[in-house]
This record gives sequence, structure tokens and C-alpha cells, in this order.
Amino acid sequence: MPARERELLEIDAMGDHRKALPDGEWLDVNGTRTRYYDRGSGEPIVFIYGGNFGMGDSASSAYTWCLNFGPLSKDFRVVAFDKVGQGFTDNPPGDDYTMRAVVRHAREFIRALKLQPVHLVGHSRGGYAAIRVALEDHDIVKSVTVVNSGTLSPGVGTNEVILSRPPFPRGSRECVRWVYENYSFSPKVVTEEWVDAVMETLALPKYQESVRKMDGEKLATKLFLPELAREKRETLQWLAEGRLQRPVQVIWGFNDRTAVIERGIELFQLVAAQERRAQLHVINQSGHFPFREHPERFNRLLAGFIATHA
Amino acid sequence: MAKLSKKTVTVKGAPTALLCNESNRDPLVFVHGGHPGSTPYCSGSHIWGPALDLFSATHGIVAVELPGHGGTLAPSALSVDFYAEWMEECLAASQVRSCFIVGHDFGGLIALGLASRIPSVVKGISLVSSVAAAPTGDGAENLTLAYPPVPLWTRNSQHWAFEQLSYSHEHITDELLDACVSAAHQPPHLKVAAAVREGSFQNEFIPSLMKAKARFYELCRGTGIPVPVQVIWGSHDRLGSLDQALWLYRLIASRQTAAHFHLINRVGSFPFREDPQSFHQIVDSFCQAVFPHSSPA
Repeated sequence: MPARERELLEIDAMGDHRKALPDGEWLDVNGTRTRYYDRGSGEPIVFIYGGNFGMGDSASSAYTWCLNFGPLSKDFRVVAFDKVGQGFTDNPPGDDYTMRAVVRHAREFIRALKLQPVHLVGHSRGGYAAIRVALEDHDIVKSVTVVNSGTLSPGVGTNEVILSRPPFPRGSRECVRWVYENYSFSPKVVTEEWVDAVMETLALPKYQESVRKMDGEKLATKLFLPELAREKRETLQWLAEGRLQRPVQVIWGFNDRTAVIERGIELFQLVAAQERRAQLHVINQSGHFPFREHPERFNRLLAGFIATHA
Repeated sequence: MAKLSKKTVTVKGAPTALLCNESNRDPLVFVHGGHPGSTPYCSGSHIWGPALDLFSATHGIVAVELPGHGGTLAPSALSVDFYAEWMEECLAASQVRSCFIVGHDFGGLIALGLASRIPSVVKGISLVSSVAAAPTGDGAENLTLAYPPVPLWTRNSQHWAFEQLSYSHEHITDELLDACVSAAHQPPHLKVAAAVREGSFQNEFIPSLMKAKARFYELCRGTGIPVPVQVIWGSHDRLGSLDQALWLYRLIASRQTAAHFHLINRVGSFPFREDPQSFHQIVDSFCQAVFPHSSPA
């Protein structure tokens, strides 16, 4: 059987992936009720997924990591949490719908868990957040893995080109499916269950509130994006200055049309100029979510890197 | 750690020494690069250095000495097809029925040839700094190895070659240079070097290399490489640019699902010597996923 079909069957055979996550727990992070999942023992891995609050046609949550959580928790302590305003976690206090608030919450969450220095794994906007956490709070970070992060990479991301104006009503099941299929190499990886998980988040009243803020009150264009642009300039400058000082691996899905492979190479080169312990890994036949399209090979890469830098 | 030892097998009627460990797992087979009498350092199973010890702790391993290297006799005129045939017979003589091949530079091209000859035996490939397999286009002359100190293959001259090809000099140890100088004085190397002086490299080997590359590219366009492949490259490889490495990867990835590309930072043409730990980690993680029989669960 071709490897591709075998892998898809393996994903199916894992059954209800929400069960691959342990029962969620709650932690009060300086007043923000935070949903998180925690299993296993050993070197701690903290996953930070992508996206941001208030997006009407897609919504990441800790479910995103369900194909990685179980296998990796056999050898590591694995933690995934809902970022402020995303998944089940409260919206940012004081309408602070900024990436700065997301990074601050992530830092405070990791500190509140009282973990030894962690291996951060950040995807897309979460890759930016992971690097920013490391740059601001070196003491809590042992290594960083950045996955398909157009937000962090210098150069042009093509999200808006590929995903703008979906041909289905906003927030509908069809619309969500269309978005994730266009993110992916193979539309087959966008399972009903994945769409269910996104729909569940989109339906939460507090999430709808964030959509109203970001879209209706235009905080996305008035606040979130300009703040992110300012902070990104500073982040890239800090990386170029060698402020990171932690091992980094960049993992990239080769066929991502929203954060093309050149973005990954540029990001690697930016980091590798200052950090010897830098690696780039490219996974074929994968779009924006290599950890969902090729979970086994992604998990092995992650486990190997973390064992090397334990 | 499983200890490495030499084992002699007979291939094409002549003895050859394999460096291996005791393991009941399907092995990783290490195929070195270089062309005797032409490459300014003498390769062989010694080139893998301390990386082999890391692999020996996690996998069954076999490292070969291709004809013209070490004590393995060779005909005067060598070709890629001859090497692929020799490797096929070598695997059979060593009772290897299933393996993963790690090929350095020219060794990678041999691995690709073997994978299309015997995909039932070769279950996956690591192409390591495989400039020999990468497309060149009308590339400008590469001067990295243009002016070696003479006489060739002395300790001094081989030291220079490693300096030229490395990011860091720290892996250029006495142990490496001793092994390379010793290999240079072996009869198989002396014989092929004499033939190269008579023109065999240009007249026989290079045309066979072009033919093998053409077959490889045809396969990439057509049905694709039949086994999983990872391409591993050094960030500071002076013989092969990142662009060449990525094109090699693109060709393979166009038809083979399980295709990875890996870039190791601050290493030149010998990533396995310059950063053995990262190299081991990258090969091991790919092997575990695509060739699980090679290592303990």
C-alpha cells in the first residue's frame, strides 16, 4: 500500500482523537481562566498552536495537537493549552486583543505550572509566540521548535491570497472545511472530527464576543495587526542580534501555500546565523499542518531533537 | 554499545572488509563517497568516524569499503554501474536482505541506483551532502579543491582537502589523517590512481556518472524513487549550494511521499563528522518512522 494511504489509515485507526487528549484542566493565570491538557512525565514540551482570537471562519484549539499528544506523552511531559481568547480560555482582559497579551499569557501560564525549563513547539502564529516567549523569558525555555510560521518569518506570507473570501457563508461548516483544505496538501486530512472541533470553538459565546471585537469593532485592523507589525520588527531585530540563545529547529510542510518553503529557509537562515544548534527539516506532501498530515514522522523529529537538547 | 569489528566477505571474487557490529536488526549500510585517484582525500569506512559509534548503540550497522578504497581491489576503469553491481553483490554476500542505506556524496548516487535495482532490499535512503547526485546546470567552475598541495594524498595534502571542505577544523584528527594516509598507500588505491593519471576518470567514470544521473532524473520524472528518501545537507557545503540541495530534494519529492530535507547548521561537506550528534538524531528519527525494523521500539 502506498505510504500516503497507509498514513491516512493510521490517522483513522486512532479513532476519536479528542480522546487522545486527556481531560482538560483549568488554571487561573492572573485572573484568566485557562484551559489546558497535561500528560506524561519527563522533559516538558509545551505546544502553542496558531491562529488568533476573533477569526470567523477558522479557530484553532488544543485539539490541533491531538495526533501528537498521545504518542509523545509516552516519553515526555506534554502540555497543550488554549491561548488567551482562543479555545476555552477567557478572552483577554481589558479588550487587549494583541499578540503581546497572547505572549504575556503564555509566559504566565508556563510559570504558573511551575515546570522546569520547557521545550516550546509553536505552529504558525504560535511559532511567533513561542520565539517571543523565549526572547522575553529565557529562564523558562530550553529549546524552540517553530512549525510553518509565516508570522515569524521575514518575507511575504500568502494567507490572505490563498484564504481570502471563502466561497461559503462565514462560519459555516463548509467554510471551515474549505479553509483547512486549502491549508493542507491533502484534503483528506481534514476529517469531520477536525471540523467538529473548530465548530465547537466558533459556537462558544465568548468566542463570538471576540469575533465581534476583532471584526465588528475593527480591533483586528485598528489594534491587533499594527501592534503585531511593530512587535515583529523588534522580534526580527532581536533574532538578528542573537538574543535567542536557545537551540531551534524549524520544521516546514513543503507544500504550504500560505507560508511557502522559502519563508522557512529565510527563517532558518536568520536564526542559524546566530545559533549553532539550529536545524531545518522539510516534510514532503504536507501543507500548513505537517504535524497533522504526517504525525508519525513529525513526532519522531520532535522526540529526537528534544532528546538531543534535554 | 555494540562493538565495531571487521568482517571479511568475498565480492566479485575478491575479499573486502566490512566494519560492522553484532546486531539481529536489519542494518543501516554506510556507503562512503569519493573516487580513488581523483578525490584529494582517501575515503573509506573510516570516514564515518565517531558517528558510527552513535549508530552502533542504536542500530545494526555495516560500513563498506568500495573497490579502490582500503583493501578492496578494483578494475582500472570504474563506473557507477560497476559500483552498484558490486554493492548488490556485497549485500548478498553479507546476508543483508533488508536495509537502510546512508550514502555520502557519490555513495548517495550508488544508493539511488541500488534502490531502483533492488527496492525489496533497500527500504530507505539518506543522501548525505550528495553533490554527485544533484543537478548542476551550467554551473560555474568550483575552485574549492582546485590547488591541492603536492604530492597528493600525503598527510599534508589530505589535511588541506579536509580544511577546504569543512566549516570547522576540529574533526580533522590524527586518527582521521592516519587512516586516510594508510588508505592512500594500499595497492587498490595506487592501482586506480595510476589509471586515473592515464585518463580513466575522464574517459570512463565521468561519462558513467552522467549516464547514472540521467537515469535518476528520468526515474524522478516518471514513477519516482521507489523508497523513502531523506536529503541531508550542511549549511556551509562549499561543493554543493543550498540551491542544488533543494533541487535534488524537489526532484525526489515530486513523486516520493516520504521525502524529507534536513539542513544542519555550521557544517561543510562532512555533516556526520562535524556534528555527529545532530546527524545521528536526524537519520535515527527518519529510520524509526520509515524503517522501524532497524531499531528497538
